[in-house]
Amino acid sequence: MDFKTGTLMYCLAFGVIIFVIIQSVFFMVKAWKRGKEIGIEKEKMKQTVISSVLFTIAPAVSILATVLALASALGIVLPWIRLSVIGNLAYETVAAESAVGVFGSSLANEIKDVKQFSTIAWTMTIGSCFPLVLLPILCKKIHKATQKMTSKSSSSNALGDILGAAAFIGIIAAFISRAVAGTPSDGPSAGFMSVSVLLSAMIFTIALDYLCRKKNLTKLEPFVLPIAMFGAMGIAVLFTQTLPAGITEFTWR
Amino acid sequence: MKKERTYTEKIHLWGAVWSVAALLVLFSVPFIFSVHYNAFPEIKTLLKALSTVIAVYWTTAIIEVVTYTPMLGAGGTYLSFLSGNITNLKLPCAMNAMERANVRANSEEGEVISTISIAASSITTTVIIAVGVLLFAPVLPKILAEGSVIKPAFEYVVPALFGALGASYFAKHWKISILPIAVGIIIYIFSPSMAVGTMIFITIVVSILGALGMYKAKIIK
Repeated sequence: MDFKTGTLMYCLAFGVIIFVIIQSVFFMVKAWKRGKEIGIEKEKMKQTVISSVLFTIAPAVSILATVLALASALGIVLPWIRLSVIGNLAYETVAAESAVGVFGSSLANEIKDVKQFSTIAWTMTIGSCFPLVLLPILCKKIHKATQKMTSKSSSSNALGDILGAAAFIGIIAAFISRAVAGTPSDGPSAGFMSVSVLLSAMIFTIALDYLCRKKNLTKLEPFVLPIAMFGAMGIAVLFTQTLPAGITEFTWR
Repeated sequence: MKKERTYTEKIHLWGAVWSVAALLVLFSVPFIFSVHYNAFPEIKTLLKALSTVIAVYWTTAIIEVVTYTPMLGAGGTYLSFLSGNITNLKLPCAMNAMERANVRANSEEGEVISTISIAASSITTTVIIAVGVLLFAPVLPKILAEGSVIKPAFEYVVPALFGALGASYFAKHWKISILPIAVGIIIYIFSPSMAVGTMIFITIVVSILGALGMYKAKIIK
């Protein structure tokens, strides 16, 4: 049997996955109990779970696509493990590429040497582990500093809230400006399609938010974002199927 | 007040323990593989492979930990960094959950909602990838292959996600939003392939400075 997809690799994958799920359940139970203690309605927490699950489906399928893309060179199990723990869409491909590059090969070719495979596995692991080393040292300090700053600013006209929103907007702005003018390493360049999808998602969200407010549809609110996202992805399919390739393939980068 | 501190303290303690456990689990994969096949890498080759990876990703890790911790809350941070895919999934998911639940990121309600949201997202991602690998691995490459009907949907997940998320935020805070988007677009015009991780750092700084300036000039309240 191929060492990349042997029983050992599958056992390791199951171990890792069970660990991630247990950790998530642990933190969810603790947060849920705390939520009850401080008076957050059960319904609000339930809706958070449902909307987060729906929100996750499409990006998770993209992550799955990366696992499959890496599978031809590395077998399916190592990318599966790496993208289930710490892994990141953009990071894992680059890390694997650098490691494969040392052997003068590329991800287009299947890795057949067990030592090469082991080197790649170690490289991807060591490369991605650093946040886990930093968190026990830094997280508490950063968290305390943030709380100190926020409690100070909330007394002076909610500046903390404004800065928090500004930081969120900063992140969104990076991805939006990339869709308008960038050439991402993990997707198509900015052009007709990226901007159409972006605008469709915005229009769907605004329309659904308006509907929720006008008709008082509070139950629909948690689903606004997943629906808008799927709607915009549907627009991508619709345009590719109905418009001439000259338009849908038009990019300005 | 005392109780609140106790919960946060506990989260940090659990988080530290889980992080160390996660490191052990993470390293057990290449270690057990190497022992089983008697195939430890040569140090020289490994260091060569790591030289570029560490330079880029360890630096990014420092920036990410400092940037995202205040936004995700304590529990959310520990969970997100373990399960990964923060910018393209966990962070937007938590942001959306807090926005919809109408809670502030740095309040205890925000901490609870963010943690529940990220935990739900982590479990969903793990299950989808596992089911995808085990059941659909033979079929999925065809579904997502070049030329398949639904391939474009997944090529544009990121603009769909941030477009939808952006609309809610921009509607509420349009004055703050203009500057970071404009700066981001201008930089991308001159440097189109800049890594989004670097851009995030720039646009956050621009956005915060812009908001601070507008607050001081009484343009926003």
